[in-house]
Amino acid sequence: MTLRIREMNFLGYKRPDGKVGVRNHVVILPSVACANEVCNAIARQVKGTVSIPHQHGCAQLAFDAEQTARTLIAVGKNPNVAAVLVIGLGCEVVNSSMVATKIEESGKPVKNLVIQEVGGSPKTIKEGVKIAKAMVSFASRLKREKAKPDSLILGVECGGSDACSGLSANPALGVTSDLLIKEGGTIILSETTESIGAEHILARRAINKKVRGKILEIVRRTEMRALNLGLDIGKANPAPGNYAGGITTLEEKSLGCVMKGGTGKIMEVLEYAEAPTQKGLVLMDTPGHDAESVTGLLAGGTQIIAFTTGRGSPMGSPIAPVIKIATNSYIYSKMKDNMDLNAGEIIIGNKSVQEMGEMILREVIRVANGKLTKSEILGHREFAINRIGPSF
Amino acid sequence: MDKKYFEKVILSHPRDNVATAKSPISPGTLLTFSRDKKIVAKEGIPFAHKISLQRIARGGSVIKYGEQIGRAIREIKPGEWVHIHNVAGERGRGKSRKKG
Repeated sequence: MTLRIREMNFLGYKRPDGKVGVRNHVVILPSVACANEVCNAIARQVKGTVSIPHQHGCAQLAFDAEQTARTLIAVGKNPNVAAVLVIGLGCEVVNSSMVATKIEESGKPVKNLVIQEVGGSPKTIKEGVKIAKAMVSFASRLKREKAKPDSLILGVECGGSDACSGLSANPALGVTSDLLIKEGGTIILSETTESIGAEHILARRAINKKVRGKILEIVRRTEMRALNLGLDIGKANPAPGNYAGGITTLEEKSLGCVMKGGTGKIMEVLEYAEAPTQKGLVLMDTPGHDAESVTGLLAGGTQIIAFTTGRGSPMGSPIAPVIKIATNSYIYSKMKDNMDLNAGEIIIGNKSVQEMGEMILREVIRVANGKLTKSEILGHREFAINRIGPSF
Repeated sequence: MDKKYFEKVILSHPRDNVATAKSPISPGTLLTFSRDKKIVAKEGIPFAHKISLQRIARGGSVIKYGEQIGRAIREIKPGEWVHIHNVAGERGRGKSRKKG
């Protein structure tokens, strides 16, 4: 390996819970859709804050409400976040005071405002601006400190795949995953739908029987969810763009998709938005929907997302840098504004998969040190919570 | 890595019976894999799409990455474009799956 271990250390923000952030966001978090505009208004007025509007938090039941709450709490706990202002309406299922209290367990500054208690949106905005200003001032005084690559959790994602994905960017990202794991880091591989037809490869690499069983179970239940409804997953995944890009079947897409995780043992299987308890390669059960999958990864504590794309995706995230890796040179040239790296060099024979994997790792460390990705520069903040039940 | 890079296509695994076009391939293009193994593209192959390297019988496995990605829904001849018009996946499709 040409990369020296010393070069993989980086400067990050040490949080009270011992985790290390690569960004230092002050988040204005609605616990329910009704608080979105209040959060947006506060974020517009206070530089250095980011609001994370979403459509949920109300009229949800049981496991579905629990998953939304778990996601919001975990996003607040993500080490890229310095402080959080949680805003609720007051009558919602996903209670904002509960969300705030849970985020506070991480030791970071958290405040909570409830629109119905404060007395309407203008008053809440005014009060929220005051709190957000103090939080930004606090965050601005935090300094980056030396950190090791073993504190990194890298989320690996693919979106808008083409038939080059499994030949260039995904195997290269697999090399990156193997290298980061060797330095004690963690990789979260997700998108269960895109493991259908490749689950035997993942199951073979399970650390034990229990993990093996769980891998097969999450793939089976995802497939059965469609079959029980009499639906063909192939009408949505692969997507029309995937087919146009040469992907013929879900199996082909999946076999390319799972390469992003590298060749390591699979240490555990996480439910959506759960945080890993193991280091190394872990799986998270998320759908193939990119924004929902990336949001699950953020909730899992990933500080950086490496995202491969063959058809071209501009997707970012509100709190984590997303590194875009083009799978072919056509899309890299065409959408250069959105692309950070070009793994299409592998297709034309200019670079080996190994070289590209090392290049991606170097970029991950540069981004961990503060280099902005294209998605950050362009202000891409896509965010979507995976719903597992209907609204009532 | 078992990948092999040829002038116009990539073979992802020695077991594969399809190869991926590195750029658009025109009908009639000669693809050389070895002294004995040569294939003429019977039709245009778009960039990143697959070309058949051998005869695949109806119902036969289509292999990429050394794994089955689907089955031929009609006979595929060497040099033909391999895509949704002649291949169907078997997973996640229920009753709508086309039988090989």
